[in-house]
Amino acid sequence: MTALLEVSGLAKAFSGVHAVDGVSFAIEAGTITGLIGPNGSGKSTMIDCISGFLQSDAGSVRLSGTDISALAPQEIAHFGLVRTFQSVRAYDHFSLLDNLLVVAAPFAEVTWLDAFLRSPKYRAVRRRVEERARDLIAFVGLAGHIEAPAAILSYGQKKLLALAAALMSRPKLIVLDEPVAGVNPSRINGIADILRRANADGTSFLIVEHNVDFISSLCDHVIVFDQGRKLAEGPPQEIHRDPRVLDAYLGIGESTPARLPVMS
Amino acid sequence: MAIDSAYLIQLTLNGLILGSLYALIAVGLALVFGVLEIINFAHGEFLMLGAFAMAFLLPVFGLQYWPAIVMAVIASAAAGLVLFELFLARLRQSEFERSILITIGVSMILLYGMQYFFSATPRLVDTNFGFAGLDMGTVRITWTRVLGGAEALAAFAALYAILNFTQFGRAMRAIAQNREAALMVGIKPKQVARNAVVVATALCGLAGAALAPIQNVEPAMGQSVIFKAFALVIIGGLGNMLGAVAAALLLGLAESWIGGFFNIAWQEVGVFAIMIVVLMLRPDGILQRGRMRVQ
Amino acid sequence: MKRLALGAGIAALAALPLVTASNYLIGITISGLLYTVAAAALNLVYGYAGLLSFAQLAFWGIGGYGAALTVMSLGGSFWSGLIVAGLVPAILGIVIGLPTLRTKRHAFVIVTLTFSLLTDLVVRNWVDLTHGPLGIPGLPVPTLLGFDFGTPARFYYIVLGFTALALAFLYVFGTSRIGHILKAIKQNEVLAQSQGIAPLPYKLAAFVIGAAVTGIAGGVFVFYLKIVDPTILDFYYMQTFLIVVIIGGAGSFWGVVGVGLVMVALPEALRFSDDLRMVIYGAILVVAMLAMPQGIAGWFEQRRVSALRAALK
Repeated sequence: MTALLEVSGLAKAFSGVHAVDGVSFAIEAGTITGLIGPNGSGKSTMIDCISGFLQSDAGSVRLSGTDISALAPQEIAHFGLVRTFQSVRAYDHFSLLDNLLVVAAPFAEVTWLDAFLRSPKYRAVRRRVEERARDLIAFVGLAGHIEAPAAILSYGQKKLLALAAALMSRPKLIVLDEPVAGVNPSRINGIADILRRANADGTSFLIVEHNVDFISSLCDHVIVFDQGRKLAEGPPQEIHRDPRVLDAYLGIGESTPARLPVMS
Repeated sequence: MAIDSAYLIQLTLNGLILGSLYALIAVGLALVFGVLEIINFAHGEFLMLGAFAMAFLLPVFGLQYWPAIVMAVIASAAAGLVLFELFLARLRQSEFERSILITIGVSMILLYGMQYFFSATPRLVDTNFGFAGLDMGTVRITWTRVLGGAEALAAFAALYAILNFTQFGRAMRAIAQNREAALMVGIKPKQVARNAVVVATALCGLAGAALAPIQNVEPAMGQSVIFKAFALVIIGGLGNMLGAVAAALLLGLAESWIGGFFNIAWQEVGVFAIMIVVLMLRPDGILQRGRMRVQ
Repeated sequence: MKRLALGAGIAALAALPLVTASNYLIGITISGLLYTVAAAALNLVYGYAGLLSFAQLAFWGIGGYGAALTVMSLGGSFWSGLIVAGLVPAILGIVIGLPTLRTKRHAFVIVTLTFSLLTDLVVRNWVDLTHGPLGIPGLPVPTLLGFDFGTPARFYYIVLGFTALALAFLYVFGTSRIGHILKAIKQNEVLAQSQGIAPLPYKLAAFVIGAAVTGIAGGVFVFYLKIVDPTILDFYYMQTFLIVVIIGGAGSFWGVVGVGLVMVALPEALRFSDDLRMVIYGAILVVAMLAMPQGIAGWFEQRRVSALRAALK
């Protein structure tokens, strides 16, 4: 059986600097995978390449066996790979509901003419989609603001909105770029909960995060990046014992493996 | 058709002088684009202000050319400072459209305001040189043209010296080339932007003042020349001053030669057609450098 | 409430020729309506899609020349002239839009500006076709099924009918899912792409529809003037459309339409000189861009957001 996402030999350089340098890994369907690594280790470049916002120099990305490495971001989204952004993005002037109604996939069967004329078919689809949008906004706990413009949301709330928007199209894989960075710590458990529930419903996740606690409590599998290469991968328990990881990521050598409170 | 060589030389010299004055306008536009990354739609109005300042100041100084032109340049630079402090200084990053709309508004106020107060009627400007000129055999060029060309040359020399040998000139180039790096070495973008705007409007005012005794002075004179200057700046490579100067000299020559023999207008069509083609072939061109805005 | 105001507005406009015999008043209302249509089209392009297009001026002029030449050189009717006035700008919109809409917005602004300047130069110099600076005078009176629209009052109803149709079309388009996506692309193009939206077809649609509507408005306008000459490409028109969009609030349909009708009519009615009016417009533009960059509608929205934020705390 092919993996859900298969990255092989992916490389990307910026004016000679190898941001991603021949990386290969696979993600199995139904899992939550963590991607960790020091700042500047190439994680962001990596997910920009996977999601089509950057064109890789070499290598391939396969989603359920289909090569998506030459596709535009919007095409990749239609194949079932959706991402969120580290610098949180939302349509500030739209209500939360309208934010979610932008997502294209649920309207795939509706033509422009349908949309322009508000044909019965369009209205039927739109009713269904709106219902799902309301459910998702409630799911991430923002039901109270559903008609308010996104501009009033806090930083952490916008991350939740982005998560709801990502879930709108029922993607196979969601790539989350730092879902809890800068979020009030009291909310982090809530976010982990939401992700677990979405995962139980069949969505796989690839999560880039610095918060190692968050990653190790949530993920089935962790990939560690350093200097554009994959340093190690495996279950979180193994990763936190790997001396190379300790050295590169936590800046402490083999001599002090005992001091790892965050991994407990 | 046999071309009279004296006529050709005459046209060539006139064309070079005209081209060097166009270059003064285009260089300022390129400088402001490079440092602030905005398009100043009101730039042409500073040409008009310089010309009107000349027209008003000459009688004050008893038609004496030199004091009037010095004062006209100072007045244009002062107006440029006002433009910057009142409007451009308030622009933030990624407000390209806003900069265009604001400068269009300023341009409307200046152009139609002058038209309202002084009417659209073209006026002729007389100087102490009158129609006297420099005679070189069969070729004769009026002093006002000779001086216009000489002032343009002097201005370019001064600009070159400023950009290469002074602290504030080097800061402008640094910002235009790499904003982030410039900020890291402690260059203050707002001051540099102010300097760039003042220098650019002074150059444009000089062009206007020098043109005043050569052409008709009218409120719309800036508007008709600014679009030509846009074309020059783009063909020369946006933000690239040498390119703009070369393009301006060529345009001046072309206008003078073709105007001497043919219908003047089709070559303007050519200029704009080239401009569209250039843009479509390498649309990002020099625009790509990006992120060089005033905070 | 909105419907009531709309109904009253339409009734007042429809009754205008019945209550006044002043050709001057009817004339300024005709220009006001057509400027409003052109501004609403620019609003679709700039306000919804975020594309500051200076090509609107060229489309306005090309529409005018297209309609005039269809009638005067090809012997077509006024109505077929209007079709040409919409079609030619639409095709040019595709030709310019396809390559430039992929590029950065800086390049788009400059290409569209250059296109308008080029159009002006071509019109002035292609004397065989356009009669150069002299223009094409003597445009005939439109007729329909034997009824002629010879008086300003009768022509006014053509303008009113076209305005109603064009605005209704722009409204339905703008409030559809397509308009919603255009606004999304304007706010955050990258996010829209990540949500499966391909920006180019949407931007192109807005640009081409804006071109066609502006072209037809230009076509109607020159038949009101009964002459088309290069002054139809005066930057003045572009400035007017821009002011209406900026003051009304880019992206706000009713703001733009309301401000269009008021702003164009008011200074005309106050009988300022043209120059003073343009000075006032320029000052309004500058002040608006400095004080409320989102226009009147945006200013109200901002207040609403602040109020909501305050209520949360």
